[in-house]
Amino acid sequence: MSTRKSLITSNLRVLTGLVLITWLILPLIPLAIWSFARGWFFPDLLPKTWSLNAWNYALSDTAGVLDSLWLTIGISLAATVLSILVGVPAGRALGMYKFKGKEIVELMILAPTIVPGIAVVLGIHSVFIFVGLNNTVPGVILVHLVPTLPYMVLVMSGIFANYDASFEAQARSLGASALKTFWYVTLPAIMPGIIVGGLFAFLVSWSQYILTLLIGGGRVVTLPLLLFNFATSGRNDITGAIGMIYILPGIIILLLTARHLSGRSGAVGGFGQI
Amino acid sequence: MSDRLKITLLLLPAMLIIVLLFFGGLAIGLMRSFNYMPVIGLTEPDLSAYFLVFTDREFYLSFLLTFHIAFTSTVISSILAIGAALLLRRNFVGRSIVNFLFQLNLTVPHLVGAIGMLYLFSQSGSFARLAAEWNLIAKPSQFPALVFDPYAIGIILQYIWKEIPFIGVIVLANMQSIGEDYESVARSLGASRWQTFRHVLLPLIFPGVLSASVMVFAFTFGAYEIPALLGANYPAALPVLAYRKYTDVDLAARPEAMAMAIIIAILSAVMIYIYIRYSRRRIRG
Amino acid sequence: MTHVSIKELTKVYPGASEPSLDRLSLEIPTGELTALLGPSGCGKTTTMKMIAGLLDPTSGDVTFDGRSILKDKPENRGVVMVFQNYLLFPYMSVADNIGFGLKMRKMDPAEIKRRVGEMLELVKLPDLGKRKPSALSGGQQQRVALARALIVQPNVLLLDEPLSNLDAHLRFEMRDLIRSLQQEMGITTIFVTHDQEEAVVLADRVALILDGCMKQYDNAEAFYKRPVDEATARFFGGQNFMSGTTRGTVFEASFGQLQLVEGLNQGSGVLTFRPENVLLNGDPSAPNTLEANIADKIYLGTQTRLKLRIGQENVDIITNPSDVEGLSPGDLIRVTLPPQTLWMLTS
Repeated sequence: MSTRKSLITSNLRVLTGLVLITWLILPLIPLAIWSFARGWFFPDLLPKTWSLNAWNYALSDTAGVLDSLWLTIGISLAATVLSILVGVPAGRALGMYKFKGKEIVELMILAPTIVPGIAVVLGIHSVFIFVGLNNTVPGVILVHLVPTLPYMVLVMSGIFANYDASFEAQARSLGASALKTFWYVTLPAIMPGIIVGGLFAFLVSWSQYILTLLIGGGRVVTLPLLLFNFATSGRNDITGAIGMIYILPGIIILLLTARHLSGRSGAVGGFGQI
Repeated sequence: MSDRLKITLLLLPAMLIIVLLFFGGLAIGLMRSFNYMPVIGLTEPDLSAYFLVFTDREFYLSFLLTFHIAFTSTVISSILAIGAALLLRRNFVGRSIVNFLFQLNLTVPHLVGAIGMLYLFSQSGSFARLAAEWNLIAKPSQFPALVFDPYAIGIILQYIWKEIPFIGVIVLANMQSIGEDYESVARSLGASRWQTFRHVLLPLIFPGVLSASVMVFAFTFGAYEIPALLGANYPAALPVLAYRKYTDVDLAARPEAMAMAIIIAILSAVMIYIYIRYSRRRIRG
Repeated sequence: MTHVSIKELTKVYPGASEPSLDRLSLEIPTGELTALLGPSGCGKTTTMKMIAGLLDPTSGDVTFDGRSILKDKPENRGVVMVFQNYLLFPYMSVADNIGFGLKMRKMDPAEIKRRVGEMLELVKLPDLGKRKPSALSGGQQQRVALARALIVQPNVLLLDEPLSNLDAHLRFEMRDLIRSLQQEMGITTIFVTHDQEEAVVLADRVALILDGCMKQYDNAEAFYKRPVDEATARFFGGQNFMSGTTRGTVFEASFGQLQLVEGLNQGSGVLTFRPENVLLNGDPSAPNTLEANIADKIYLGTQTRLKLRIGQENVDIITNPSDVEGLSPGDLIRVTLPPQTLWMLTS
């Protein structure tokens, strides 16, 4: 009796799991198929003819997709590096010290993770016009820091909260300079946090749309902008190919770090922004 | 070096960026929404932009639509995410695949999901083709409008697709750190499976669910590219409307766009308040 | 009023090669307080969870008054388990925690309130009903957990390490409370512990489980006086083991003969006696009085431990510090092993 019942529940679980699996991969399937289709008309369930045209186009030197890819990688890398350089010290201050006004500082750092980009980017845009950062790559990188930096700080403050600074004191007492102590003691200890936080920052920057659209002003065309343009212009095959290229870094990062990405890390909130 | 100086120096670069860019952006938006911009000679703040916004029928339709999108997506995603987390907590064939797809889905940008939804649910999309295959429809226009539609079904479906894994991963981690002992206690005190879920597990995971939901609500309320791709032209979602006003050839519409941005910001401030209240309580136990 | 009977209960976790619990059989008479004693990982919590219905056994049976309960859902067994870390629901007040089981039975709220009030009196926390569990001390939380379990009037109460999280001075207080409530309500109670002292202090009878097998099921005194084997004796602090042969009432040790009482195991085997039962400098004509060489002397504050050599055998004894003042390693002393304190282990 109880075994039969548990058989039913376990079958039910597998069934629900199958539904969930289907639902999770479903939207990616037509995208992948389109990238290999030559004309795929209603009501065909699958394309009549297959081709690599879309991929040839996307990977050709003249189409601009590759330029856009390198540009996007460059912008996201720059935003990541800046987030690390600025976020690590801030994380140290928040993770290791108690001080007056700490809650307000935390609140100020938390705010950009919840307030949508559209609410701040219009104001930023009208200032960037004056300082000449509009329509420039540095301007885009700078505005990407608004969503990326908070996650870096959150991850690092979590890391530093569990970090024992007496290792540094020990190193200093053994004769290491401040710089050497940082290099040989602090950095190895916080490296996992830098990697996870950096990957988050990269992915968050990688997925930015409205910030790039407004600040880039059509001059800085990152991959999502290009993807959106092709998607609305009806070139489904090229859209499919660019879409596949666009999700690649996320998959690579996932394969490299799957075990770090547990929901327990405060940084998982970063996924909400991707 | 005193601790105070050290803390200040450590925080300075990050705070500079956040204060200048984020709060600066907000402040400038706020000033411009009041038509106050001394640099370009506007020194008399007024409420005309808000007056225009609040007398515009499109704004109300747009606000309601956006609220409907955010609310419906958040509620449905949260419920399904709790279900998915309950499922993933148990061992079953295929669990690791679901787990992997959950994480994979987290890394796929919303825009890609939105394009996928477009290809699935549009009137010439995969589901319409399936319907034609089964002779349910003869031509694309007979397939129900699920994208560019007034109820924003396509947008909501895309958010549900993206946010189930997001909330699910957080809730699952939450459940794993709570463990199953509280539920065992309840069972042994005479609670049925349902009572155990309702009176024990749900209250325990509620703070985690709520803080994840708040993030989802704020995101779905303020996202631009998804409604821009999948939404109807009129009424458009609030962020789309704000962007259109801002980029209107008529520069006089900019303060209106700023006013809408401020309205979105105020709504997210409410979300932050809820988030802080519950996440703090969770931390303090 | 429930007689609990455990028959050949076995649990093999999926993927494990060794059973976590191997054919445990145990009879627990109505109203008795029984301890399952063993080191961590010996299968005692597994046993409890199987009785409570939180875990399915691989084989074997559990019956209450002769009726198998394995197919009953946990909430219908009349078994309540109190966990080691109390697990009070953190978002509920103390009163709501205690009334939880009654609420699940859809009892009238006014009646729940009345019974919770009674229960709070019973566990001596009359004014704390409105507090949150986090505002209570460990001992108070323990009482609330106990009250929450007892209010549903279980047939069988299961306690997981009930005294181990308490300070020494609270332990005896809690012990008295548990015993008095248990006796008053006549609830058949099983508790698990890794601490032999906790088992001895609280239980009517103790079941010692080592490596998933039950070694001995007896009253507490028997574990000191008549352990079944060396592992059991060692678990209860036994130190002295000598190989030899028993014929009648005489034990042939490596250094000579020892006088025994009648009825012990015969043939070659291991003789044991407790360190606290060895007499120092007693009557030289008493039986089993021997010369011993002090190898080491360890002062422990309230007692002193002597490591002795008798012939080739090592013997540990525990004495009053004042009895051995002035003695130092290398000295010779006279010790007596009273025949009624010597015990032959089964081989």
